[in-house]
Amino acid sequence: MSALLKGEHAFGVMCRPGRQLPEFSVKTGANPNQTADFLGAEIHTLSLPDCFSQRTLRTASFSSQVALVTLLEAWSDADLDAVDPYRIGLVVGGSNIQQRELIKTHETYHNRLHFVRPTYGISFMDSDVCGLCTELFNIRGFAYTIGGASASGQLSILQAIQAVQSGQVDICIAMGALMDLSYWECQGFRSLGAMGSDRYAQEPAKACRPFDHDRDGFIYGEACGVVIVESASLPRRKDVTPYARITGWAVGMDGNRNPNPSLEGEVRVIQKALDQAKLSAEEIDYINPHGTGSLIGDEIELQAIDLCDLTHAYLNATKSITGHGLSSAGTVEVIATLLQMQARRLHPTRNLDNPIEPSCNWVKHQSIAHAIENALNLSFGFGGVNTALCLGLAQK
Amino acid sequence: MTKDRIFEIIIGHTREVIPELQGYRFQPDDALKDLGANSIDRSEIVAMTIESLALNIPLTETARAKNIDELAGLLYEKSQSC
Repeated sequence: MSALLKGEHAFGVMCRPGRQLPEFSVKTGANPNQTADFLGAEIHTLSLPDCFSQRTLRTASFSSQVALVTLLEAWSDADLDAVDPYRIGLVVGGSNIQQRELIKTHETYHNRLHFVRPTYGISFMDSDVCGLCTELFNIRGFAYTIGGASASGQLSILQAIQAVQSGQVDICIAMGALMDLSYWECQGFRSLGAMGSDRYAQEPAKACRPFDHDRDGFIYGEACGVVIVESASLPRRKDVTPYARITGWAVGMDGNRNPNPSLEGEVRVIQKALDQAKLSAEEIDYINPHGTGSLIGDEIELQAIDLCDLTHAYLNATKSITGHGLSSAGTVEVIATLLQMQARRLHPTRNLDNPIEPSCNWVKHQSIAHAIENALNLSFGFGGVNTALCLGLAQK
Repeated sequence: MTKDRIFEIIIGHTREVIPELQGYRFQPDDALKDLGANSIDRSEIVAMTIESLALNIPLTETARAKNIDELAGLLYEKSQSC
């Protein structure tokens, strides 16, 4: 939490194998428009605890390894060992999350296919994350993946809520999985105009700047988030304190396959979530927006906030610190909201030097003291996915 | 390559797949299954060995080996005929 409040970041030129264009594509001029390396925030060191055997980890993808480490932290925090494993479910948000592993396999075995390792037949599927998590944590309720582009993480939470509400399980784990991009996806996002940053190629720390006039696209960030959803009626476990109440939520589609945002779609889910939470706009005192640094997306989102009469609420952009985790973003940002609720402080928005809408109630370069009562989290995804989630202060 | 060397290669890959066997003294009549290798582990060990030997044979051709010695012998035969 202290890192979040200080706005500590890890942006730089990405160096994980398979993240930068290979020599041949540069030499052959396959990508004449490429002017800069791909920037992002990568996990520097992943500490794998001894409770996960090397035998398991040897064939687990990077996304799976990060998933296991993240789940372990949330599992311990929520003391899920004390819960009947048959009453625990898992929803993993994200699809096509292991693209870099796929490229590595293709490059290693492209001219000797018959040597491809048998485990690739399991590990290439996103559901391998479910398999590993359920095996190592003995989850016996259900587990599946759910995809909704950059809204996948928040969608996983909405799905978890429904699983708990319906009584399918008592506790549901919502995971926004790490989307492990290869240079192919980075290039695709660049070509699409979604990923920055040519402008700050020489100054990676300045590249990620949601809602700032000088933004030129999102900057990727490796991340995974896990949120535990359970019914308020479930008996409290000793030493486990809820972070917040989920008071309202909504999901809605634009009927549009493309990446462009929809003001109408965003307004609709915000209002629906507020209605469900039985909250008026003025009762929302903090918004954690989708805010990627997208040229159009950021503007449309602020218009939606304005149309919903929410400009009084404090606003910061978690992605300015973490980067855009794509499939993980929705859960990571809900976690950021929960931590800010707990700390009674709001984290800064990095690089917000010149906001595109100065009249919003921005938390700019410094963290500020604020006790959140009612928060609104927003996530949007390519293909016209809009989600909104209202979180209220947990009852004492 | 000798059959003994192939035996050693199999053991090396077995230890890589099942690190718990690092200190174990392998015997020729040890069966991978009895050493705790599940079906995926066994496929991995055989695939890694075939790759180390640069053999171009289907994994299914090794299925009849009942223990490590038989597997080494079978792969040795294949290596001689390739």
